[in-house]
Amino acid sequence: MREKATTLYLGPQHPGITGNMMVRLKVMGDTIVSAQTEVGYLHRAFEKLQERRNWLNSFTLMCRFCVPETDPMENLYARAVESLDNIEVPERAKYIRVMVLELARIATQLMWYAGQNGSLGLYTMGQWSIGDRDYILDLFEQLTGGRVYHMYQWPGGVRRDLPEGFEGKVLRTLDYLEKRLKDYDDLMFSNSIFQKRTQGVGYVPKESIIEHGVVGPVLRGAGIRSDIRIDEPYEVYDKLDFEIPTQEGSDIWARALVRRAEVHQSIRIIRQVLDQMPKGEFNTSIPNPMKWRVKAGDTYVRAESARGEVGYYAVSDGTIHPRRMHLRGAAYVHAITLLENILPGQNVADVSAIMNSLGTCAPEIER
Amino acid sequence: MKEIKDKMIAQINAAFPEAVNKAYDGNRLDFTVHKDAIPGFLSHMKDQLGFRHLSHIAYVDWIEENEFELVYLLWSPTDKVKLFVHTRIDRENPVMHNIDMIWRQANTYQREIKEMLGIDFPDMVAPDEFILEDWDDIPPFRRDFDTLEYVNRTFWHRPGREDAQDVRETISKRSGEEIPDFAKKYSR
Repeated sequence: MREKATTLYLGPQHPGITGNMMVRLKVMGDTIVSAQTEVGYLHRAFEKLQERRNWLNSFTLMCRFCVPETDPMENLYARAVESLDNIEVPERAKYIRVMVLELARIATQLMWYAGQNGSLGLYTMGQWSIGDRDYILDLFEQLTGGRVYHMYQWPGGVRRDLPEGFEGKVLRTLDYLEKRLKDYDDLMFSNSIFQKRTQGVGYVPKESIIEHGVVGPVLRGAGIRSDIRIDEPYEVYDKLDFEIPTQEGSDIWARALVRRAEVHQSIRIIRQVLDQMPKGEFNTSIPNPMKWRVKAGDTYVRAESARGEVGYYAVSDGTIHPRRMHLRGAAYVHAITLLENILPGQNVADVSAIMNSLGTCAPEIER
Repeated sequence: MKEIKDKMIAQINAAFPEAVNKAYDGNRLDFTVHKDAIPGFLSHMKDQLGFRHLSHIAYVDWIEENEFELVYLLWSPTDKVKLFVHTRIDRENPVMHNIDMIWRQANTYQREIKEMLGIDFPDMVAPDEFILEDWDDIPPFRRDFDTLEYVNRTFWHRPGREDAQDVRETISKRSGEEIPDFAKKYSR
């Protein structure tokens, strides 16, 4: 007798800490035959709302595109406006921005540790890493006033300088995290359950990489050394010494090893930043925000987020409102055509783990 | 970088004489191409000039000129050059060529453009709905779509939750407590 395919709906209630989205699966037994991503649960039309706001009001929406990773979006907005209006950013502000971006990268990867393990039923790791992430959020709170949303890297520099003694706190937090990462290795990477559930699972074929616009740890997990911080350096990344980790497996395990190594590299970068950071101004004065007419033109700026390329296409028509702001998120390509392409043949129990390893962030897709 | 860009501009001009180049500093290369030439142009950029990565397809509504603009943003990993390919589409007849056979991910971008701007891609195979559900108004990212008017027409305030209330006066009315003198100057 022929087995009949069954339709299974995964989501839209957070299918693995990825945000509200749904994957419609056709399954034969436990094996996926086809998959289709459905979004539409989180559309807030931020980019439409930006058309009604002035250039600084509009900035406050930026950090809300992807909740676990807010800082690269702020950085993009600031750089887009600076690029359009030819604003010079003080050197100190660039160093501070890199410190914030790398702290954010670590915080995002700690959240990923939780999501990736949680999707496999390994909850202790999540309790540890989310707890440790809070130490970074403490730093953000002291620096910016906000734990998750910061609104700190604004056009012209950063909103305020480092508080007194802040560098020491950052270094102590990094020392602590470095020790904790060894515990993470014992609990996660040495765990035979984690190994068996991730090795050979969620394989991204190398021929799919260009076709699907694969970026970030997914790209580097397939053995390709590509990172916007090196390929098209922004802020002061060209003055810093760090490595781009790669792996060959192109499965969840390989991507996990890449992310693990990237946390170590971020720690290395922040230490250099604190060592090299010059004294001086932390922002450039900008025009009165209520009357600020950014020069007409268009630009596309990119940044390497913890999940890969995020980009921002910005257009000004010379008025006080942005004409068009359009975000390209890493998840936008990974969680739709790539996910739909790699799921057939996989086990239904692995879908959440695969989504996590691709850096899925639903709010970024529909914005 | 200038040498690389000059060489690329010469190659593009030779293959597509009608493509219009605009000069930019840094690693930005910028061409405007007729919409009918887009699939061939992009395919050539990908296969012959090393622009293997499609970063994005951005869209703008130039309502004053009665046109939509699509901007294909490409990246060359070997030459580290960013290519902007602009094309304009008549707002009255918004039809564009599908390019998802060149990059599969373009399917997602085009689905968004179709839904949010109303540009049709006749050759594209995709489910009808992407982000919006049962949408029966004009595409919402067109400039003439008025978000405020739509919200006022579609939704309504619950009694007591009307907009633009003075917070202090409303609380005072409900609770019967008077607004302290020092706070009165802040009320409308």
